[in-house]
Amino acid sequence: MATLPRSKKRKQSSEDVVAAVEAPAFSAPVQSLEMLSDDEGPEETASDDGQVDEFPEIDGASDSEEEALGDDEDEEDEDEETDEEDFEEADSDDSLDRDIFPKPKTIISDITGQPKRVYPEIEPDYDSDSSTEDTQNRVGDVPMHWYDDLPHVGYDMDGKKVLRPARGDELDKFLSTVEDPSAWTSAFDKTAQMDKPLSAEELDIIRRLYANEVPDASYDPYEPMTEWFTGKGKEEIMPLSAAPEPKRRWVPSKWEKQKVMKIVRAIRQGRIISSKPKTASKLDFYSIWSEPSTSHAPPLPAPKPRLPTNSESYNPPEEYLPSEAERAEWEALDPEDRERDYLPKKHSALRLVPAYDRFIKERFSRQLDLYLAPRIQRVKLNIDPSTLIPKLPSPQSLKPFPNYKSLKFTHSGRARCISISPDGAWVISGDEGGVVSLWEVNVGREVKRWKFEGKIGALEWCPRLDVSYFVVGVEEALHFVIPPNVPSSVLLLTQSLLAPTTLPPAPETPSPVKWVTPPTSSWSPDTAILTVHLPPSSGLPKQITWHRRGDYMASVSSGGTQGGVWMHQITRRHSQAPFKKIRGAVQLVLFHPLKPHFFVATQQYVRIYNLSEQKLLKTLTPGIKWISSMDVHPSGDHLIVGGYDRKLCWFDLELSDKPYKILRYHTRAIRSLAFHPTYPLFASSSDDGAIQVFHSRVYNDLMTDPLIVPLKILRGHTVKDGLGVLQVKWCARQPWLVSGGADGTVGLWCS
Amino acid sequence: MAPASHPAVFTTQSPYPLPPQMFMIPATWSRYQLSQLVNKALTLAKPIPFDFLLRGDLLKTSLADWCTQNAVGEEETLEIEYIESVLPPQKMSDLPHDDWVSAVSCQLEQRFLTASYDGQLRAFDYSQHQTWSSAIHSAPITSFCIVPSTSADSHLIATASHDLTAQLTEITLATAQKTKPLASLHLHTAPLSSVAANSSGSQILTASWDGLVGLWDTVVPETDEVPEPAAGDRKKRRKIEENKPKRKAPLMVLKSHTARVSGAVFNDEKTAYSCSFDSTIRSWDLEHGVCANTITSSERPFLSLSLAPSSAPFTVLATSTDRTISQYDFRDPHPLASLTLTHPATPSCIVRSPRHPHQILSGAYDGAARIWDLRSVKGATPVASFKPWDGDKKILGVDWKIGGVVGVAGEGGLGVWKVGEGA
Repeated sequence: MATLPRSKKRKQSSEDVVAAVEAPAFSAPVQSLEMLSDDEGPEETASDDGQVDEFPEIDGASDSEEEALGDDEDEEDEDEETDEEDFEEADSDDSLDRDIFPKPKTIISDITGQPKRVYPEIEPDYDSDSSTEDTQNRVGDVPMHWYDDLPHVGYDMDGKKVLRPARGDELDKFLSTVEDPSAWTSAFDKTAQMDKPLSAEELDIIRRLYANEVPDASYDPYEPMTEWFTGKGKEEIMPLSAAPEPKRRWVPSKWEKQKVMKIVRAIRQGRIISSKPKTASKLDFYSIWSEPSTSHAPPLPAPKPRLPTNSESYNPPEEYLPSEAERAEWEALDPEDRERDYLPKKHSALRLVPAYDRFIKERFSRQLDLYLAPRIQRVKLNIDPSTLIPKLPSPQSLKPFPNYKSLKFTHSGRARCISISPDGAWVISGDEGGVVSLWEVNVGREVKRWKFEGKIGALEWCPRLDVSYFVVGVEEALHFVIPPNVPSSVLLLTQSLLAPTTLPPAPETPSPVKWVTPPTSSWSPDTAILTVHLPPSSGLPKQITWHRRGDYMASVSSGGTQGGVWMHQITRRHSQAPFKKIRGAVQLVLFHPLKPHFFVATQQYVRIYNLSEQKLLKTLTPGIKWISSMDVHPSGDHLIVGGYDRKLCWFDLELSDKPYKILRYHTRAIRSLAFHPTYPLFASSSDDGAIQVFHSRVYNDLMTDPLIVPLKILRGHTVKDGLGVLQVKWCARQPWLVSGGADGTVGLWCS
Repeated sequence: MAPASHPAVFTTQSPYPLPPQMFMIPATWSRYQLSQLVNKALTLAKPIPFDFLLRGDLLKTSLADWCTQNAVGEEETLEIEYIESVLPPQKMSDLPHDDWVSAVSCQLEQRFLTASYDGQLRAFDYSQHQTWSSAIHSAPITSFCIVPSTSADSHLIATASHDLTAQLTEITLATAQKTKPLASLHLHTAPLSSVAANSSGSQILTASWDGLVGLWDTVVPETDEVPEPAAGDRKKRRKIEENKPKRKAPLMVLKSHTARVSGAVFNDEKTAYSCSFDSTIRSWDLEHGVCANTITSSERPFLSLSLAPSSAPFTVLATSTDRTISQYDFRDPHPLASLTLTHPATPSCIVRSPRHPHQILSGAYDGAARIWDLRSVKGATPVASFKPWDGDKKILGVDWKIGGVVGVAGEGGLGVWKVGEGA
C-alpha cells in the first residue's frame, strides 16, 4: 500500500490537466470513479507496482531495444513471440495495462546464456487495438441515457449487469481534486460512466494539440528521404510513361494568340496607350551636392581644421603666453610668414573674452578669395634659400687680400693710369694733366714728378729687374724715363740699354716709328732718356704692355692704321706693326706669360695669335658688347675679359672658346681687371666706384674647375663724371692693390 | 633698497701702496669715485688721478657694468690694480715743415731734430725756432738716429736715405753751428728704411729695401773703403772735395730677409732685431753675423719695430700693415703674438715710453697718435690718443723723451705734445 499515494498523486496531476481541458461538470463522476478504483486497487496495484516505477526506463529501453535487436533476433524470437501471444491472451485481465505499458519478460537467452528481458511483439493488425475496448460494458453504441434510470450501465461479456459506479457529490469531487494527485489527468468515460485516468500517450496528444504539433508522436515530419531511384543499380532504364508528348507542348496556343491579338488591336486603335509620357509639368530635382559630376575631377576635400591647442584657449597656461620679445617678433613678421595667426591671450573668465576682432577682415579676405583666387592647389616650393647659394669657403680663410685703404695719393686730374715697379716698392701714376708722379708704396710720399705735354694715356714699368725704367705714353709718343735713386750699376745698365753708344743697325724696311735719344749732355732726371715717336695721327696710346722678358713692348693707340698696335723691341730700337689689317677696333693686347702667344681684344672678340708661327690660333667670343679690359692669369691658361656692359668672362683657354663663367656683379661698366702675379687673387674696378677683389684659385689638375670666390668690395673712390675707378694694379710681392680713380686719387689697399 | 656693493682688494705697482684691506665698493662707482677713494685712503697732499685695472682690463664704465659684461658675481672679491692715470696729452707747439717729416728725435737737450723728405736735417729749440738746418742728402731721409757720444756740444747723427746710403754727420748746435759729414755708408742697392745705433754708440744698424741689414762701426775711416763708381761726373765731386764724406764699408752684412727690411734695432751690444715685409722678425747674433732666431707671422708685413718697454726683455713690438701692433717674445719657442693692438689705420711707427714700464706710443696713417698700456690687454683700446694735425695727415715718426715730451713727425710737420706720465 505504500505505493498507493504515489499512484494517486499521478492520477491527480493528470486530472488537473483534464480539469483544465474538460468542463467542470465531469468532475463529479471522476470523483466517484476514483472511489471505485479503490476497490479494485489490490488487483491493479500488483500489476501497477513495477509499471509505475519503471515507466521511464521501459519506454526508452523498449524503443532502443526494438531497434537495436532489429534483424538479429528476428528469427530467434519467433518462438518466444508466439509464447508471449499466448501468455497475453491468457492474461486478458491485464490487457489494458499491458497495451499501454508492455510488460517485459525476463528469459535466458539461448545464445548468450544471460537473462534478458523480452517485450511482447505488437501486432500491427486491426484487432490488436482491441485493448482499448476491453471495458466490461458491452452495451454497444447506444445512447447511454437509456440507462439513466437503471442501477446498471450495461452488460459485460457474460451478460451480467455492470453496475453504475457510485458518484459522489460536489464535496467529494472537490476532495478528490485535493487529495488525488492524478485527478487532474483523468477524464470522464461515457461507457463506464466514470472518470478514468488519462494515459501518458493521451496526455502527450493533448500537449501536442495544444502546441499545434502533429498529434501523433511517432510521426516524424523530417524523416530522411528514401532514395528509391538514385544510386547504383536503382536507375530506371525505361521511362515511367511511354505516352507520347502531347500536342499542346509544341503547337502555339491559339487562345494566347487571340488574347495577344486583342491587346495589339487595342494598342493600334489607341485604346491602350503604351508608355504614357509622364506628367510634363513635374520638375526634376537633382541633388547637385551629393553626386559628383562625372566630367570633372572630384573636388578636393577640405582639409580638416586643426584641433585647438592649449595656446588657443581663452585662459592658456602661463608658459603659452608670449613674452614681450616674442610678441615684438611676431608683430614684426609679415602676416604671411607668421607661424600662428594669433597670439595667446589670457582672460580670467570666458565672459571677458572680447568679440572676435578679425571677424570682418576674415570675411573680407574670404570674399576676396572667392572672388579672385582660382580654386587650384598652390604649389609652393619649400626650398631654403640658403641652400641655393653655392658652397664657398669663407673669405676669412682665404686671407690675405686687400681689405682697407691704407693711404691715398692725390692727383689734380683723373688718375687714368698707374704702374707698380717690378720690385713692388714704387708706384707711378699718371693723370690727364700730363703729370706723372713717382711715390713709394708704403708712405705715399711723392718722390719725383714729371710733367709731359698732354694727357698721359698709359704707363708701364719695364719688368726687368736689372734695369729700371718705365714708359709713359702720351700723344703720339712713348717716353722712356729712369726713376731717381737707382743704384749706379742699374743706372749705367739702363742708360746703355736705352741710349747705347753704338746704335743697332737700322732695319731693312724703314719704319714710320722714330726712336730718338737726346744728346748725353741734356740728360736730366726730369726728362725722358728715350722717346719713341709713333706715326702721326696715331692718337693717344691707350695701353702699353710688356713681354715678361722686358725686351718687347706692345702699345695700342686710339687712332691710326693697323689697329694702332705697335710692337717695339728695345734692344734693336725697332718698332713694327704686327697686323697689316685687323678687323675691328683693337681695344687691348696682351703677351702670353709663357708662350709666344699674343692676345688681341677687339670690341667683341679676343683673338689669340702665335707670334712665332704668325698665325691665328683661336678666337674667343665672350659675348660682351664692348670689351674694356682683359688680363691673363700668370699660368697663362686662363683669361679674364671685362666689358663696358658690366660682364666679366672667365675663359679657360684649354677648354673652350666660350667663357667658363660669366660674372655680372658691378653695377656699372668694368674698367680694369688685374690678376695678382703670385697670390690667387684678381681684382676688377668699375665705374660704380667700387673695386671687387676675388679669390681665384687655379688648379693644375685639369679636372678641377677654377675656384672663384668673391672676397671684398673696396669702396672709397668717388664717382666723378660717371667715371669710377679707372685702373687697378697689384703690388708684386704683397697682396696690396693700387687703384686710380677718376676723382684724382690713387689708393693703396692693404691686407 | 641698498645699492649693491662689491668686496674689493686694491693692489698696485705704483709708489703709492695701500695697506692690504678689503673694501666694500658700491657697484655704481666708476673710475672717478675709485680714484677719490684711493686718494683719500692714501691721504696724499696733492691728489693723483688713478686708473684701475680689473683682470687686465681698464675700467671705463661703472663697476656694475663691468661685472655684467665679464659675468662676475656680486660676491666675488675683485682684485683692483690701480695705476697712475695718463693725463690727456696737451699740445705744446706745432712746427710746420716744407715737406713731410719722416723722423724726429727729442733726445738732445732743448732741441728737436727732424729729418725731412727734402733731405734736410733741422734743429728746433723749445721756443719753436729753427736753429739749424742742413741738407745732408739729396734724396729723402727716411730715418735718423743720434749716435750716443761722449762729447757735450757736438753730436754724431746717422741718417738713412732713399739715395741708397746712410751717412754719419757730426753737428754742433750750441754756439758755432757746424755740420761735418764724416762718412757715407755704402752697402745697399735700394733705399734705406731705418738706421739705429746701440747704446754705447759704437755700432750702427741700417735696414734697407733690398733685404739686407748692415752693421757698421762708427769709426770714420781715413780713406774711402768703397771705391767710387766709375762715373763721369768727377768734376762735381772735385768741388766739394774737402767736405766730402769718406765712403765706408759695413762691418757685417746680415742677410736672411727675403723682402724689404723695414726696421732694425739693437737689443744690447750683441743682439739686434729686424723686421721685414716678408712677415718675419729676426734676431741677429752680431758677433757672428748670423740670424739667431726667427719669428714668422702669417701674412703680416711689418712696418716698424721697437723694443718692448723695459718690463719685458727679449720682447719686441712691431707694427704691420694689417693695422695691428703685435708683441713677440723671443724666449718663446713657438712665438705667437702675445698681444695685438688693433688700429683703425696702418700704424707706421712705435716708440716705448722712456720711463714707464708698460706704455707705448704709436702713430698711424689716420693722423692719430695713441698711447697704450700693455697691461690693459683685453679691451685693446688706447689709454689716450691725440691728433696733432687736422684731417688725416699721416704720422711717420714719433719720439718720446723722459719728462713726457712727445714729438710727432709726419705729413703736417712736427707736433710737440706733453704727455702726462703721472707725476
